[in-house]
Amino acid sequence: MQIVAQNLTYIYSEKSKGLAVRAIDGVTVTINEGDFFGIIGHTGSGKSTFVQHLNGLIKVGKDKGGLTVGEYDLSDKKCDFKGLRAKVGMVFQYPEHQLFAETVFDDVAFGLKNYGKDLSEEQISSAVRSALEIVGLDYDSVKEKSPFELSGGQKRRVAIAGVIVTKPEVLVLDEPVAGLDPRGKTEFIDLLHRLHKTFVKTIIIVSHDMNLVCENCNRIGVFSEGKLVKEGSPKEIFSSLDQIKELKLSLPVTAFLTEVLKEKGVNADNDFTEDGFVDAVVSAYMERKRGDK
Amino acid sequence: MQIISVENVSYSYDKQNMAIKNVSFSVQRGEYVSIIGHNGSGKSTIARLLNALIKPDEGEVTVDGLSSLDKKNLFEIRKRVGVVFQNPDNQLVASIVEDDVAFGPENLGVPREEIGERIEFALSAVGMTEFRKSSPVRLSGGQKQRIAIAGVLALKPDVLVLDESTAMLDPRGRKEVLDVVEKLNKEQGVTVISITHYMEETVRADRVLVMDGGELILQGCPQEIFAKKDVLTAIGLEIPPAMRIAEKLVARGVPLPSGILTEERLGEELCKL
Repeated sequence: MQIVAQNLTYIYSEKSKGLAVRAIDGVTVTINEGDFFGIIGHTGSGKSTFVQHLNGLIKVGKDKGGLTVGEYDLSDKKCDFKGLRAKVGMVFQYPEHQLFAETVFDDVAFGLKNYGKDLSEEQISSAVRSALEIVGLDYDSVKEKSPFELSGGQKRRVAIAGVIVTKPEVLVLDEPVAGLDPRGKTEFIDLLHRLHKTFVKTIIIVSHDMNLVCENCNRIGVFSEGKLVKEGSPKEIFSSLDQIKELKLSLPVTAFLTEVLKEKGVNADNDFTEDGFVDAVVSAYMERKRGDK
Repeated sequence: MQIISVENVSYSYDKQNMAIKNVSFSVQRGEYVSIIGHNGSGKSTIARLLNALIKPDEGEVTVDGLSSLDKKNLFEIRKRVGVVFQNPDNQLVASIVEDDVAFGPENLGVPREEIGERIEFALSAVGMTEFRKSSPVRLSGGQKQRIAIAGVLALKPDVLVLDESTAMLDPRGRKEVLDVVEKLNKEQGVTVISITHYMEETVRADRVLVMDGGELILQGCPQEIFAKKDVLTAIGLEIPPAMRIAEKLVARGVPLPSGILTEERLGEELCKL
């Protein structure tokens, strides 16, 4: 499902004079099926407001632009939001804080029962089983457990299972690795890539972690003061740093180092992944060594 | 001079699973110590032991020579060791910044005039003087955490313990807090114990303690600790990104010295090639 936002605008407290805040302002962007799309920008730049539109948690206001997700037209009041929400899964920051059921099974099944037409017990349990297996939890050993007995990383997996149980094609995650320790973080990113090879066609992450975004996303959108100010591949975003610096965003390590080398007159053009950077430095170094001889 | 001593300390929350097993270390006055470990390794239990929120089941924790096993000492220990926790929203109590900072000293019975001075000192130390009359709810996460630190500083503690105090902040907020902490350590001589799982934060420390499964398994300066990459990865930790990149370059034949931890340093070394 392709996502197309056209001139999308949202104003909080629009009717209260003095309190109105233009949270997003004329955002136009197309996110293609298959993208691993990263959204970056400072706190308050409109990132979360934008993504909350994608499954209709925030409705597109009258004369506030257009938004379509696949065949769903979200600016249409008659839009089938229930159907949409089964297709666009939303994972908030610290999703484990939202676990509530007595057992892991009930928690994961909740979304399914909520959106589902009339599903039989067998259909539900097989969907829950497969959702838990995708996130790397053993169905038989966790299904009867209280989600609160699990470790932080496991809880987060249960929360994700509860979202992917409806087999969404688009998965939106707000700060997906915040609060995880290094191993938890690596495992979680691997999980996202695994999901991206299944029914989940498009992944959208909102993150402050530039290294994470550069390493994993094929496209990045930069938000500032409600506007989408830059959009493109990591290479396009970080090849010229003037705007990024002006926005006072931190740089991924790779872009920082590439810049340092550039100032020194060394060209180490790369795609700003760690391995891409290493390749570029190695070949620049080898070339120089050959030149010296 | 030693300010904190932890000797053969064990602790269990439920009398079955040991959160801390036979841990010993000491901290010198003015030191900046980082404690790292994955979730559940026992790091936060140490924070609670240090300001006597919990007492050791075995062994002894002393602060400035005062043992937390003796009830009479608790008040004095808590005056000396201030803890800043993870979530700024859980730590602010008043509706005006200066009232929040005054809360601790008022509780300790500090005289009125001195409270004014302490608020001034604490807010200026964290660079928040201009927000004195603001409401904390209107501040950013980083600013709130700086107010929480000011609230602790107003007690004039000898030791500042940060229990994942930057975990919920954005990069800008995190840097604000870390810069303030570093300044307090360098300029005011405040002893800092920073519990974190951001590896890049530990680079600022004089000494790093590594926890795993409730045990203290390594300690040393950041260079020594990160040189033990295999041990760190085996327990679910990682080395800082700059160091990882440096290692990849060395493996591909680019001659770089060992012990590069920061991107600034890696940049300098790359320019020397």
